[in-house]
Amino acid sequence: MPGKPEFSTQESMQLINERIGKAKRSYISKGIASMVWGTLIVLCSLLTWMRITFHFYPGFDVWLLLIFALIPQIYFGIKERRAKDFIGHDDNTTIYVWIAFAVSIFITSFYNSKYGNDGSATSIMILYGMPTFILGGIYKFKPMVTLGIICWILGIISVYTSAASDMLLMAACGLFAWVIPGIIFWTRYKTEQVSNV
Amino acid sequence: MFKELDPILHLQLRLAIMSLLISVKEAEFTFLKEKTNATAGNLSVQINKLKEAGYIEVIKQFSNNYPQTVCKITKNGVDAFELYVKALQTYMNPHSEG
Repeated sequence: MPGKPEFSTQESMQLINERIGKAKRSYISKGIASMVWGTLIVLCSLLTWMRITFHFYPGFDVWLLLIFALIPQIYFGIKERRAKDFIGHDDNTTIYVWIAFAVSIFITSFYNSKYGNDGSATSIMILYGMPTFILGGIYKFKPMVTLGIICWILGIISVYTSAASDMLLMAACGLFAWVIPGIIFWTRYKTEQVSNV
Repeated sequence: MFKELDPILHLQLRLAIMSLLISVKEAEFTFLKEKTNATAGNLSVQINKLKEAGYIEVIKQFSNNYPQTVCKITKNGVDAFELYVKALQTYMNPHSEG
């Protein structure tokens, strides 16, 4: 960019808007971790639904798969963070939201496993909607806010459904809270890459 | 009445740097270089001018054994940027202000 000393006020304003827009678009996550995590939740929920409905038992607790999913999750998270050459104003907030979510899920799962809570899917679904809704609000990304609300609605519906149906609702939650936002982020990331060429 | 435009900011590259830094908490030199399409030399000179004016803070550090330059906007920089934008608006809408 040439360092030309004088330029018009319109050019100044255009430049400011353009650069701020470019910086904001850099926040776009690849969404891979979100898609991996969401796909596993959908898979685990459907396998649990099959176990309850058709008495199909895969030989292990399918939810243990989520622990293995944490490995690529952490790997992609660290890789994405290292590749970033800036820190956004909302980055710390995002980290705290995820920590709060992880701790809440852990405590809820621990409570449910200890007391055998039949309605455990409801509390988990409500928690799934939380980070999606908050982060959608922080990034002013309306589809994520809507998807977070959908998770809560599914959570309310699950109060009135059977344990087997809860698993189908949980699969839908995984789709709405993780897979769809992941796909949206991936599409935006790819579009941004093409526009930068 | 037209307000005077801050001469430090009224230069394309310096204004581009400030516009980028105001929208992030901090940014590496490589980020600024990529987003402004400026040469490393020119960018260094303009970053130094903004630093001398007290508009940005420049932190030189090592990350994984590689030197890293991190820039962040200061409170003075935010104030100057806001004043600049307000001044610009008086040029763009000359009848809106007395």
